Amino acid sequence: MTALLQILFDALSLGSLYALGAIGIALIFGVMRLVNFAHGDYISFCVFALLWPSIDAAAIVFAGQLPAYLLIPIILATGACLSMLSEVLVFRRFRNANPATMMIASFALGFVIKYTLLMLFSSRPKSIDLWSELALPVEILDARIPLLQVITIIITVLILAALVAFLKRTRFGLEMRAAAENFTMARMLGVRANAVILLAFAISGMLAASIGLILVTQTGTVDIQMGSSVMLVAFIATVIGGLGSLPGAVVAGFLIGGISVLMQVILPLEVRPFRDAFVYGAVIVVLIWRPNGLFAPRSAKQRV
Amino acid sequence: MSLLNIKDISVNYGRLSALRNASLTLAKGDTLFVTGPNGAGKSTLLKAIAGVVAPKSGTICFADKNIGGRTPEDIARLGFSMVPEGRHVFGSLTIEENLRLGVGMRDDKDVAERELETIYSVFPMLKDRRYQTAGVLSGGQQQMLVIGRALMANPQLIAIDEPSLGLAPKVIDDVYAVLLKLRDTRGLTLLIVEQSSARATMTGGRMILLRGGEIVLEGDARELTKSDALKAAYFGYGEHH
Amino acid sequence: MTKRPSIFLRTVSTPLILILVLACFLALAALVNSGPFNQVVIDAFVKVTLVVGLYVFIGNSGVISFGHIGFTCLGAYATAWLTIPPMMKKMALPGLPDLILETKLPFGIAIVLGGIFAAIFALIVGKILMRLSGIAASIATFAMLAVINTVYSNWERVTGATSSVVGIPIVRVVWPYFLAAAGAILIAHLYAISRSGLALRAARDEAIAASASGVDIGRERLIAFIISAFITGLAGALSAHSVGVVTPDTFYLNLTFICLSMLVVGGMNSLSGAVMGVVVLSVIIQVLRQFEKGVDFGGTVLAIPNGLQEITIGIVMVVILIARPSGLTRNTEIVWRRWPFKRVSATAGS
Ligand SMILES: Nc1ncnc2c1ncn2[C@@H]1O[C@H](COP(=O)(O)OP(=O)(O)O)[C@@H](O)[C@H]1O
Ligand SMILES: [Mg+2]
Repeated sequence: MTALLQILFDALSLGSLYALGAIGIALIFGVMRLVNFAHGDYISFCVFALLWPSIDAAAIVFAGQLPAYLLIPIILATGACLSMLSEVLVFRRFRNANPATMMIASFALGFVIKYTLLMLFSSRPKSIDLWSELALPVEILDARIPLLQVITIIITVLILAALVAFLKRTRFGLEMRAAAENFTMARMLGVRANAVILLAFAISGMLAASIGLILVTQTGTVDIQMGSSVMLVAFIATVIGGLGSLPGAVVAGFLIGGISVLMQVILPLEVRPFRDAFVYGAVIVVLIWRPNGLFAPRSAKQRV
Repeated sequence: MSLLNIKDISVNYGRLSALRNASLTLAKGDTLFVTGPNGAGKSTLLKAIAGVVAPKSGTICFADKNIGGRTPEDIARLGFSMVPEGRHVFGSLTIEENLRLGVGMRDDKDVAERELETIYSVFPMLKDRRYQTAGVLSGGQQQMLVIGRALMANPQLIAIDEPSLGLAPKVIDDVYAVLLKLRDTRGLTLLIVEQSSARATMTGGRMILLRGGEIVLEGDARELTKSDALKAAYFGYGEHH
Repeated sequence: MTKRPSIFLRTVSTPLILILVLACFLALAALVNSGPFNQVVIDAFVKVTLVVGLYVFIGNSGVISFGHIGFTCLGAYATAWLTIPPMMKKMALPGLPDLILETKLPFGIAIVLGGIFAAIFALIVGKILMRLSGIAASIATFAMLAVINTVYSNWERVTGATSSVVGIPIVRVVWPYFLAAAGAILIAHLYAISRSGLALRAARDEAIAASASGVDIGRERLIAFIISAFITGLAGALSAHSVGVVTPDTFYLNLTFICLSMLVVGGMNSLSGAVMGVVVLSVIIQVLRQFEKGVDFGGTVLAIPNGLQEITIGIVMVVILIARPSGLTRNTEIVWRRWPFKRVSATAGS
């Protein structure tokens, strides 16, 4: 029972990260058919915003010293700004390009961000102590669960709830959902394309920032690769969920988190290292079976 | 004083020329039917006005402004409502959300509520199902929804691409009754694409005939139908004498 | 002077001109005759092979593949398995089958087998993947790359996992790499003018019309996929011999990005674009590398920071995508018509 609870919390907290990443990607795909490969680098960038640029091995903590009530908004704003900046400087110029061209452009942008970080901070991972007291376990029904896992799950639920409220209750949310379903029709009804897209980028960037904060707290390190690994899985969750479908992205994020943790437990020892290969393989299977994903929006293909 | 003034516009899709040197004017309160066979360029004409496709040449003025090169949302905000062919309801949004989208460009909350009530009074069916998702509606109901949504903005000009397509005659009658009433009460200008001239004859108004990307005939709808010119032009014979 | 050259000369002129360009680099390497410069030229030839292989699939089918570097990985490890001295292999990679553990093949045979290994893998995977098109196909190839990378990064006894596999005989002479690059160009050209290549490009430009005229797009794509896997696999094997070590992460996202950049910069629908992209970006990269090491300006050594090279490449890439989406060659082929070279459109049938 306690082991089961532990697995459950492992799965939920891992799934949380994937779900947050997947929505960030799905949101952008929904409004502009862009698969944003740079998303993972937004995560890394936000994490490095905690530090002062230096290529020394020791980290010089900068924003990371601030109290949480300042630090969190600053990092979220960093993510939002970076994301919006990439839309204004790069993606806006690809409005009528085909998805493949945009994918390559986002790949290039991610490359630029990654190597900018490398230039400023060197490629060595650095350790940083951010809220490490959260790693202490708490007792839940006899199981010792790291407090951070509980917090991660709660935060994710809160973020999802806020996002749902935004999408369902506000004018901008309504426009964003409409734009994701049929962009041209939404514009013909007076929905301002650039504003909606910019807002989607801002939200996506904030989601990336929250993933970054959770990751740093979990691992205590800062590394230019740290965004990419979450991003790859999140990206796959987006595909499995049906590109552009937000509920699909969330469900698939938790699904992959669950499957990964489960495989870690039940796979025989010798194939356990190949766990991720099974996850990636599952993507191919899903695509063959349903090229538009499991929860494809009805009008995924239909555009005026 | 004309509301819409189109001069010599041509539209290409890649190498294919879909519309050549089309010109027309519409005054406030006018009704204009655009007819013509499949592939004549009717939808293209509407899309060019809406700003969805960019004309290769020519000018389009709407409400005294040159709207060439403007974005679809800007044009919509000037008072041009477009109902494209194929009923683009937002299937995952509720009926009321679909309608509220239509009023997006007008910030006043009270106006939105009042407009919503007007539309509901015109299409009571929509009110009964206001919290259902639009995807579940039948074809006829979806057509009412998109027309209702286009009217929410209280536009000066509404352009509708093939409103009758796939609808039962009774429903078509209802839809037209609403449009004509709004024309007569509010001075709404109508630009309606229909493949056949039957509806135009019943309703009256002006009519143009497109064929092969060109306007080949223009005049009063009833008079054109009475003469043989329309049939001849529609099918492309009789040009040699 | 203005007499038009024969049809023969015009149809084969594209690969001949491209090979001639490469031959100039070969001659240059012979002239300079320095180890580091040779390595630069070898590197460029490997990239030409790789990007030309990528072109065979992407250029003809119009489907962006993010997965071909997976084939490069397969080819590189295959040649490592076949050429590392048995003694070392038994220590480092004990999980290999006995037959392979005992063999040590010469370089020339091993690299071709590396390509064939990748091609066979492409045949099996392609049967499934080529049913997809558009964005789904691109994503599936990406997943394929991730699967290959995960397996090779973790299969301790067969691939050495993430540690470097050493002991691959290093080949420092330039001409084998030249031959491979020239061969890749010839194969790519022959495929492009073959029935299958023409059909595939017709389908790329007019999908509906082509399938209505009976082109089996899936089958033609599979053929292109296999041929391009062979060439990219061969390039992987060559790269293994050019440096003597392989690691799985060499063949992952960064290389994918660099190669795609080269193809896009040149113009991804033309063979000339593939070669031109490699040449142009290689030159830029070399210059920037030189700057990273430091350049002596009359006594003061100026060095640009590490990473600026990649940043520049990324920016060049975005700018070219915005300003010239069809690449430097504008997706045309360089052909011999009159002096100077003229370009023709690389669309179907030309
Ligand atoms: N998006 C498009 N891309 C390419 N060709 C198009 C496109 N839309 C329409 N066409 C072509 O333009 C011509 C006119 O089309 P359209 O305006 O839809 O005609 P209509 O509405 O009168 O049936 C047709 O030949 C059609 O095939
Ligand atoms: Mg039409």
